[in-house]
Amino acid sequence: MQATETATETDIRTDEELVELVVGGEVDCFEELITRYQPRMFGMARKYFRNESDVEEVVQTIFTKTFQKLGSYKGTAPFEHWFMRLSVNTCYDALRRRRNRREHTISDMLFEDESWQERLGNIPSDDDKEGLEQARELVHTVLDQVSDRARIVLTLQELEGRSVKEIAEITGWSESLVKVQAFRARKEMRASVERFLMKEKRL
Amino acid sequence: MEPYDVNEYGQMKVNDTEQFLKLAKSVQNDERVPVNFSARVMTRVREQHTLETRSADEQFLKFFRNLPWKEHVPYAFEKRIMARIRELLTPDPLTVWSRMLWRAVAPCFGVMILAALFSTKEPTAAFIDQAAYDPDETTTETVDPESTDFETVMLASFDDLEYTW
Repeated sequence: MQATETATETDIRTDEELVELVVGGEVDCFEELITRYQPRMFGMARKYFRNESDVEEVVQTIFTKTFQKLGSYKGTAPFEHWFMRLSVNTCYDALRRRRNRREHTISDMLFEDESWQERLGNIPSDDDKEGLEQARELVHTVLDQVSDRARIVLTLQELEGRSVKEIAEITGWSESLVKVQAFRARKEMRASVERFLMKEKRL
Repeated sequence: MEPYDVNEYGQMKVNDTEQFLKLAKSVQNDERVPVNFSARVMTRVREQHTLETRSADEQFLKFFRNLPWKEHVPYAFEKRIMARIRELLTPDPLTVWSRMLWRAVAPCFGVMILAALFSTKEPTAAFIDQAAYDPDETTTETVDPESTDFETVMLASFDDLEYTW
């Protein structure tokens, strides 16, 4: 009975309460935070990194960094916002470090049987694991051609559908800088897509 | 009436054919280009290119947005992170030792400066007296009595060793 009560109590604990407990010395409460956020973190990291080992490394860094910096969380904003900001910045740093480790070129992603645009036209079904994997590879290859900042902005704005204000909060940039970056990001992406088309035409 | 001679099949005679070809070859190509033709073509090419690119660009974004991204978490990942965090919390003796050494740098530096200041200050009264007692001493070499004492103390054990031999 008591165990059930404790479990219910744990379930309804807010992020902020958990943070307070961890900072107070109850380190084990951090596991609850990890369990709560890890699927989102993995989903996010997979948008930036294609290798599963890189994804795991980044997520691990995010949580370790969070634990180390938990003391600096003031509690003025929701923990989720603070955490998202830290995780996006960690991904950005990791992207910059991996800048020279691009594994695939445009030529690798051109297919003989169907054109690039045809492939973009149909998203593979959830059952088609190989097709989904190839589709993700394609997205990564196009986004590998753009700068890290552009990639962050494109992912946050286009994929996650975040507003300029939200992106500014997450990245710590000003709203005008986010707008400029978003414009540049679209331009870079267009150039990357163009390169794909030109390469395909040449083949 | 045809302008050239034809045979019974209505075809030009060989000589006439050659002559006709010669005439055709001699006609200059009209290479005149309508005004702004290249600009007009380029505008069309650009329009086509923009259309193609834009559609591909938008198509890519649509593809990017609708693609499902897996949120699968490796087995016991949280346990792994917690183990790493606990590791971070356990102090490593070497780290503690090096931290202590680094902390000792500032006081040691302070002591060093003090010692340097102390050694460069004016000679002691006893040393001045000794110098006054020995008026022939004109060399610039000065012997610090403290260092002499220090040397005597340090070498005392070796002096004793000499006697045992």
